[in-house]
Amino acid sequence: MVKVEIRNLNVWFKTNHVLRNINLKVKENSVTAIMGPSGCGKSTLLRAINRMNEIIEGCRTEGEVLIDNQNIYDKNTNVYELRRRVGMVFQKPNPLPKSIFENVAYGVKIHRMTSGSKIADIVKRSLEEAALWDEVKDRLNDSALTLSGGQQQRLCIARALAVNPEIILLDEPCSALDPIATAKIEMLIRKLSEKYTVIIVTHNVQQAARVSDYAAFLYLGELIEYGPTRQIFENPRNELTEKYITGGFG
Amino acid sequence: MNHLKEKIFFAILGIPVLICLAAILWIILILSTGISTLRWELLTTSVLQGGIFEMVIGTLYLLIGAVGVATPIGVLAAIYLVEYSSKGRFARIIDQALNNMAGVPSIVVGLFGYTFFSRLLGLGISMAAGWLTLMLMILPIIVRGTEEALKMIPSSFKEAALALGASRWRAIHSVVLPAAAPGIITNILLGMARVAGETAAILFTSCVLVTRGLPKSPLEPVMALAFNLFVKITVLGESSERVFGIAIVLFLIVVSIAAAAIVLRIYYRRKQPWLR
Amino acid sequence: MKPIMRKLIFIHKSLREEPIILILFLCASSSIIFISLMFGFLTMEGAQAFFTFGINFLIGRTWETNANLYGALPLIYGSLMVVSGALVIAVPLGVAAAIFIVEVLPFTFRDLVKSLIELLASIPSIIYGFIGLVFLAPQIASFFRIPSGTVALTASILLAMMSIPTIIGVSGEIISSVPKEYREAALALGATKLQTIKTVVIPVSKSGILASIMLGFGRAIGETVAVLMVAGNIAIIPEPPWNFLSPVYPITAVIAMQMGEAAVGSLEYSALFGLGLILFTITFIVNTLADVIVRRESKFKGGVKR
Repeated sequence: MVKVEIRNLNVWFKTNHVLRNINLKVKENSVTAIMGPSGCGKSTLLRAINRMNEIIEGCRTEGEVLIDNQNIYDKNTNVYELRRRVGMVFQKPNPLPKSIFENVAYGVKIHRMTSGSKIADIVKRSLEEAALWDEVKDRLNDSALTLSGGQQQRLCIARALAVNPEIILLDEPCSALDPIATAKIEMLIRKLSEKYTVIIVTHNVQQAARVSDYAAFLYLGELIEYGPTRQIFENPRNELTEKYITGGFG
Repeated sequence: MNHLKEKIFFAILGIPVLICLAAILWIILILSTGISTLRWELLTTSVLQGGIFEMVIGTLYLLIGAVGVATPIGVLAAIYLVEYSSKGRFARIIDQALNNMAGVPSIVVGLFGYTFFSRLLGLGISMAAGWLTLMLMILPIIVRGTEEALKMIPSSFKEAALALGASRWRAIHSVVLPAAAPGIITNILLGMARVAGETAAILFTSCVLVTRGLPKSPLEPVMALAFNLFVKITVLGESSERVFGIAIVLFLIVVSIAAAAIVLRIYYRRKQPWLR
Repeated sequence: MKPIMRKLIFIHKSLREEPIILILFLCASSSIIFISLMFGFLTMEGAQAFFTFGINFLIGRTWETNANLYGALPLIYGSLMVVSGALVIAVPLGVAAAIFIVEVLPFTFRDLVKSLIELLASIPSIIYGFIGLVFLAPQIASFFRIPSGTVALTASILLAMMSIPTIIGVSGEIISSVPKEYREAALALGATKLQTIKTVVIPVSKSGILASIMLGFGRAIGETVAVLMVAGNIAIIPEPPWNFLSPVYPITAVIAMQMGEAAVGSLEYSALFGLGLILFTITFIVNTLADVIVRRESKFKGGVKR
C-alpha cells in the first residue's frame, strides 16, 4: 500500500531552487530514511509532506504530494487537519514551556478532540507508546524543560502521537542526543512503524541502515536513488550513492 | 470558517498600527500648516532681530557637548562590562543602576543637576551644567547600545588578535571596537536625538530665554529651541503662529537625527555578514 | 579570607599588565555613583519638607505656595490618574500592534513599519505638548462641551500617544524573541496561527510584556512638559475622583512650574525636592520590579536544554 506519493515536486526559497523534480512513493507501515549531505534539501522534502515549508517567507512549491491519493496541495485541503494527520518531530527537542502533561495534551486540546478524563487516558497511552511513561508518571505536572534531552525528544514524539497521526516525520531526531538516548529513540522508531508510516531524515548513514526499510539518497536537491534499504546499501546503482554510504564525502 | 475568524481577528490587531501611522501623518500635517511661517532667514537671523539663529546653534552646542562627555564614559563602561567584568554580583549591581538611571524622570535629573552641578560645583546656569545633566540622561543609552554592539562581534575576531600576541586591551581597541563602531555610532545618534528635544532636564540648569549672541565659554548660559518653545507657550502664552517656526525646526532636527540612526543601523545590519 | 586575597592578587596582577582596566572600571562604576548621588542630594534637599510636615507631606490634601502648605496627595493622585488613563488606552493598543507587526505583517513591510514607529517614539515631548495644547485640547473642549480642554483626559490621551511607540517597541522585541522552535511545535501539531499566538506566544512572553508595561508606567509618570501643557495644573483631587474632565496638577508639572520661583533653601524649594524624591522612589521601585521579573524569566528560560 502506498501511503505517500510525491510527484514532480519542486521547491524554491526565493530564487534558490532547493528541490528538483522529486518523485517518490512511500509504503504504509514502513520506515523510510532520507539521507544526504547537509544542505541537500532533505529537511525541505520532509517539510513538504506536512506543508511546514509554508511558514518560511519566500517559499514556493510546485508539484503534488498525495496522501491516500489526495493531493495535499489542493486548494481545499485543510492544512491544520493535514498537520494533525502528519506528525512531526524536530532536530532539536522542542517541548513547549509547559508541564509534561500539558505538552502531550496540547494537540488534543487544540483540535478539541476530546475532553475531561479522556485527555488523561490519551496522555498516558501516548507516553507509553513513546516509552516515556515509566520515567515521568510521577511528575506529570513538572515543567517539560526539566527533562533530559533524550526524554524531551521522546516527549515530543508522544506529543505527536497524541493526536492520532497516520504518518510521522522525524527530522534528524537524534542529532542533539548522546548514543544511549539515540539507541532508545531508534528502538522506538522500529516499534512505531508497526502502526504508523515513518519517514526519517538523517545524515547518519549507519542510522539509516539500522532503522529503515527503504532509503532515499538526495544530493543537491535531486533524488539520486531510492529503494529497499538492503539493496541501497549492498548494491547501490549510482556511483554517488556508493560514495556517500561508504563515507566518500562530507 | 476558522480561517475567516482568524482574518477578522488579525484585521482588528492591525488597527492600532494604522492609528500609529495616522498619528505620524497627523503630526506632520499639523506642523506643515505652519510651514508658511518658515523662511530660510529665520535660521540665520539673530534672536534680537526676530530670528532663531542662537537657539539652533545653542541646541547643537548642548547636544554635541553632552554626547562629547557621555560617549567616552559610556563606551569605556560598556567595554568593561562586556570584556572584563566577571559577570558576578558587581556586574549585576551596575546593570541595575543603569536600568534605574534610564528610568529616572528627566525633571528629576534636572533637579539633581541644578543642586549638584549648578550650585555645589558652582557651574551656575551654564552650558557646562547642561552638558553634565544631559550626560546623565544619555549615558544609559550609550552604555546599553555599545554593550549590544560589542556582543554582536564574534569572539573569533578578538581571539585572532590575542593569538597573535596582542594584549587584551590592544585586541579590543584595534579589532573589536572598529568592528562595533557602526553600532556604537547608531546609539550615539539615538542619544543625540533624545537630547536635542529634551526640555525638563535643562529647564533649571543651562538655558535662558535670550542671550546676547552665542555663549563665549561653557560657563555661560545658552539658548535652546526646546526651552524657548516651552517658555513661550506656557509662561509667556504666545500665540501658536509665533512659535510654529521653532517647533518645526526642532521637529526636523530631532527626526532627521533619529532617521539617520535608523538608516545607519539597517544599512550595517545588511552589510556585515556576522550580524546574520 | 583566602578567596579575597587571591582576588586582590589577581586584580593587582591584571592592573600591572593593563592599567587601563582601572579607568574602564571607574567608568563602569559611574552609574552606581550617579544614582547614589541623585538619591543622596534629593533626600538632603527634600529633608526639610519631610521634617516639617511629616506624613502629611504625602497625604496632606492642600498644596498652596501662598500659605506655605505642602501636602502632595492631590499631585500624586493627579500623576497616577493621568498615567493610569494613558496606560488603559496605550497598553491594549500597543500590545496588539506589537503582535500584529511581529506575527502577521509580511516580512517586507516589517522593517519599514518598525522604523516609522521608532521615529514616532523619537519626537520630543515638547512637540507633543505643543500639538496637544493647540489642537487636541480645543477638540476635547468642544466635544465634551467644557469651557477648557486642558484636563486629565487630554493629558492621558497625549501621554498614551507618546507611550504607544515605546510599548510597541519593547513588547515587539519580547514577542519576536519567543524561540522559533516553540512556534514550530505548535504549528506542526496543526495549530492555527491564532491558536499559536494564544497558546504559545502570549503565555511565553507574558511576563516580558508585563515588565515592558511597568517600564512604560515609569516613563509616563516622569513625563513632564507635554503633560504640564495640557493637564490644567490645578492642585485638586477631582470630584468625583474618576472625573477625567477635571484639571489636575501632576507632580512633574509642579516641579517644572514652581522651581523657577522657589528661593533656594526655602520650604517651597525643599518641598519641590521632596516631590523629586517621591518620583525618584516610584520609578526606582517600578524599574527594579521590572528587572526582577525579567531576570526570573531568563533564569527559567535558561532551563531549556539545547
